[in-house]
Amino acid sequence: MIEFNNLKFMYSGGKKFALDGIDLTINDGEFIGVIGPSGAGKSTLTYAINGTVPHHYKGDFYGAVKVNGLDTVDNKPEKIAGEVGCVFQDIDAQMTATIVEDEILFGLENFGCPAEEIEERIDEALKALRIEKLRTRSIGTLSGGQKQKTAIAAMIALRPKILVLDEPTGELDPQSSREIFELLKELNKKYGMTIIVVEQKIMLQCEFADKLLVIDGGKAVHYDTVEKVLEHSEDLEKMGINCPRIVTLARMLHENGLYDGVYPAELDSAEKMVRSII
Amino acid sequence: MKGFLDYKDGNSIFHKMNPLSKLFLAVVLCAMCFVSSNIYFVAGVIVINLLIAFAAGIHKMALSILSGLLKLSIVLFIVQVLFVRSGNALFTIPGLNLPITDDGVYFSLLFVLRLLATALPLAVMLSVTQMSDLANVMVSKLKIPYKYAFAVITVIRFIPVFASEMAGIIESQTARGVEFDTKNIFRKIGLIIPLCVPLLISSVKKIDSSAIAAELRGFNRRTSKSGYKKYPFGGNDIFAVLICAVVITAGIMI
Repeated sequence: MIEFNNLKFMYSGGKKFALDGIDLTINDGEFIGVIGPSGAGKSTLTYAINGTVPHHYKGDFYGAVKVNGLDTVDNKPEKIAGEVGCVFQDIDAQMTATIVEDEILFGLENFGCPAEEIEERIDEALKALRIEKLRTRSIGTLSGGQKQKTAIAAMIALRPKILVLDEPTGELDPQSSREIFELLKELNKKYGMTIIVVEQKIMLQCEFADKLLVIDGGKAVHYDTVEKVLEHSEDLEKMGINCPRIVTLARMLHENGLYDGVYPAELDSAEKMVRSII
Repeated sequence: MKGFLDYKDGNSIFHKMNPLSKLFLAVVLCAMCFVSSNIYFVAGVIVINLLIAFAAGIHKMALSILSGLLKLSIVLFIVQVLFVRSGNALFTIPGLNLPITDDGVYFSLLFVLRLLATALPLAVMLSVTQMSDLANVMVSKLKIPYKYAFAVITVIRFIPVFASEMAGIIESQTARGVEFDTKNIFRKIGLIIPLCVPLLISSVKKIDSSAIAAELRGFNRRTSKSGYKKYPFGGNDIFAVLICAVVITAGIMI
C-alpha cells in the first residue's frame, strides 16, 4: 500500500511546488494509470514513491509518503527498492550491463539473492516477459521494445510488490506499446503486483488500468475508477489530455439525454453503450 | 572502426578463456614489444595478434584497425626518419641536403611496428570478452573495488550511446542547413565543437539517471562476495600461458 499524506515538494531552485498536496492511497494489487499534461508532476510523483525525492532530488518536502509502511524520508531509496521496482523513461540510462542475462543478474547479486535461487529467478523473469531467446544477447543490439522488456524483467526478478513505470512506451510503436501493457496486466493479475504507470497513451491506460490518477499543476485532480474519471472528460480535454473518441461520444449522448450509463473505457463497453441506445 | 569495443559473439578458444588470462595475454603482448628492439620480433607479435583474431573470428575488425592506423603510421614513419641523424647515410634527399640513415629507417620502422603491435591486443581481447565478465573477474580475483570496475564498464557501455546521440545532433543540424560534409577540416572542427555542449548536457543527465537506477537496484549493498558467476582457470587458459611463455622467451632471446 502506498499512502500519500498531503505531500508537497518543490525542487531546490524551483519557484512552485512540483507536487502540491497529494493526499491519496494506492491499495495492494491495483493497476493505476497516471495521466496529465507535460510538467504536471507525474515523474516527480514516481520519484516520491521510490524515495529519490527527497534523497536524490533535493528540495522542500512537506507531508509524508509511506510505501508498505516505510516512510520515504526515514528510509533510503535502496531500502525502499526492496518494495518498489522502477523502470525509467530513459531506458539506455537504466541499463547497467552489456548482456540481457547480466542485466537481470545485477540486482539479484546486489540484494544478496541466494545462489541456488538465482537461475530460477532469471528463468522466471525471462519467461514472464517472453524474452527467453534474448538471454545471451548484447543489450546494444536490442530494439526499444526488447530493452523495455529487459528492464521490466530485471525488476520482476527482484520480486517487488510494487512496479512503477515512467512512460514505458514512449519510444515504442503501437503494437509494442500494447504488448507492454498486456504484460503489465498479466503481472498484475498473476502475481498481484501493484502497477503504477505514467503514460500519455490514454487509450491504453483506459483499457488496462483499474484506476486513473489525473495530475495537473502538481495536484491530484481526479483519482477514481477509469469510468468515473472519464465522466470528467471535458475537464481532461481542458488540461490538454485527448480522451478517446468513444468517451466524447458518450458525453454528447449524456448531454442530449440519450444515454445515462457508465462512460465506456474500451471498445467492448462502447459496443454495449451503442446497443443500449438502439 | 565503428563498434570496435563491442563484444563479438563466438565459440572459439579465446572466447572460452578466463577473462584474466586474456587480459594477461594482452598485457604480455604489449609489454614485450617494448622489451625487445628487434623489428622481426615486433612484426612477429603483429602476426600473433592477427592469428588470434583469425582464430576468434574477428579478423575483419583487426584488419580494419590495422588499415585505420596505416595512414597515421606512414606519416609518423616519414617524420621520424627525417629527424634521426645517427648511423650511416643511405642517401640524401636532393635539394634539402637531408640524409636518410640506416638507424633512422630502423628506428622509424620499429616505432611504427610497435604502434601497430600494441594497438591490437587490447582491442582483440575486449572483442572476445564480455565487459561484465572482465569486471567480475577483476573484482573477485584481483580484489579491485566493484565501484571502479563498474565505472569502467559504464564508460565503455556509454561510448556507442553517446556516439549515436552525437550522430543524432549532427543529423538535426544538417537538416537545418549546416554543411558538415565540408572538406575543410578546420571548418568541420569549428562546426562540431559547439555541438559538444548539448552532448555534454545530455551525457551528464544520462549518467545521473544511470547512477539513480543502479542505486535503486541495490548498488550500494554490493560487496566483493556478491558476484554469482565463478571464473575458474581451465585447459583453455594453459594455451594462453603457452603463448605468453613463447612470446616472453622469444622476446628475451632475439
